[in-house]
Amino acid sequence: MRNRPSAWLLPLFLVTTLYAHNLLFGQSTPSSSEDSSRLTYHSSVSEVRLVFFATDEHNHLVEGLQKNDFAVVDDERVIREFRSFTRSDVTKLDVVVLIDSSESVLPYFEQEITEVQQLISQSPWGSGDNVSVLSFSGEEAHLICAGNCGSSFVSDRLAFLPRGGPTPLFDAVEIATNLLIQRRQPDVWPVIILFSDGDDNVSKASFHEALEKILVSEAQVYAIDVSSLRRPSNGTATLQRIADDSGGRFLPISEGAGRIFNDVIDDLHSARLVTYELPESDADFHSIRILPTRNLKLQFRCRRGYYFRPGGAHSEDSP
Amino acid sequence: MKRVFSLIFLSCTLPGLLAAQTGIYQHGTVVRMHMGECIPAGHGFMVAFGGPSTPMGPEPCPEYTLVADNVVFVIVGKLSNSLIPLAETIDFRFRKNEIAVRVDDSKHEVKFAIKEMTVRSEWDRMQRHIEERMKDQVDHEAEVRLR
Repeated sequence: MRNRPSAWLLPLFLVTTLYAHNLLFGQSTPSSSEDSSRLTYHSSVSEVRLVFFATDEHNHLVEGLQKNDFAVVDDERVIREFRSFTRSDVTKLDVVVLIDSSESVLPYFEQEITEVQQLISQSPWGSGDNVSVLSFSGEEAHLICAGNCGSSFVSDRLAFLPRGGPTPLFDAVEIATNLLIQRRQPDVWPVIILFSDGDDNVSKASFHEALEKILVSEAQVYAIDVSSLRRPSNGTATLQRIADDSGGRFLPISEGAGRIFNDVIDDLHSARLVTYELPESDADFHSIRILPTRNLKLQFRCRRGYYFRPGGAHSEDSP
Repeated sequence: MKRVFSLIFLSCTLPGLLAAQTGIYQHGTVVRMHMGECIPAGHGFMVAFGGPSTPMGPEPCPEYTLVADNVVFVIVGKLSNSLIPLAETIDFRFRKNEIAVRVDDSKHEVKFAIKEMTVRSEWDRMQRHIEERMKDQVDHEAEVRLR
């Protein structure tokens, strides 16, 4: 008799448990599966995409560069772990040629125009390349042609360029970067080829604003010093800085249009792309530097940094 | 206060540690680098132990945070081109109150002035604190954006 309660209590407990399970989960299972199918998981992982060029001690491009041959210093942090390391897959160019036609370059103007004409008309541009031409003098920049500057069309227009007056170099750089930003496409490489003596005496934009705009546009600047001065000047230093900060190159005009075009194309074909996770930082601006891990003779060229504003416009994406 | 204790601890323990390891390469990892001010002659953490540094030029000098097993060093190059290869592990040793870093597989070394030294455990704790603070800030910003 003492065992009788347990004899019916156990089945009762099991039935109750199963019923309770059905009450709890039986009805909720369908809606739970519906909910889970509607669930969207958000993950905000930001990635830095950095295009760079590697050269040896003789300034020759390095072909067999490996992932562990370099480290990126991003906002002072040394980064050795990369998400990817490949050759850059950009094949098309969006080029803005900026021609300084102000008073200070008039002594060299004929040579400058000759080189620009050669660059545009005799260089083997690709079918998908865009070439625009802007001149700057007086108080503003003048758009000569935008996008598909045909050689004969440009030659005619270059002969009648407005010339003389003060130099709005930094304003012209801003206009060029705005053009490139408007037409930005992931597989197109933005390039500015700047012919100037580097002097600016009338721009509304400051030097630093122009530099910031270049970094935001992610354009590579090839700065051609038209002054051909043997000694360094402020203008030369300005051009050098613009070229260095953008990851581009600085050349004297004596190198000629062929060399300028070859440099652009060499860079296009040899560009490497490395991606890595955005390092946490309070700063809007991340300075970047690439340094070798073993061979200190390797030289690396890339833009000086990028802007990252959480929740705002991200400018860390490169071509 | 903790910094003071750290410095007292370092000043008590380091001479023995240094003596024990003189001439032997230690291993470390560079985790931070920036171009900063050069250490002028007659300054620097190790000047008290002797050995004046050479006069500095106007150009910025590279400053590295070198993490070793027990101590974290902030070291400064004497010239703007005093660069360390940023490999995962580098070899260094103490030499005349400075740090000599082996820059390649040969015996070539570059000397660096020591600007700061921190006990590794203390440095790790500070890094964790910084990371947590930054994570909180990111979370807070994300929350504000969602509102």
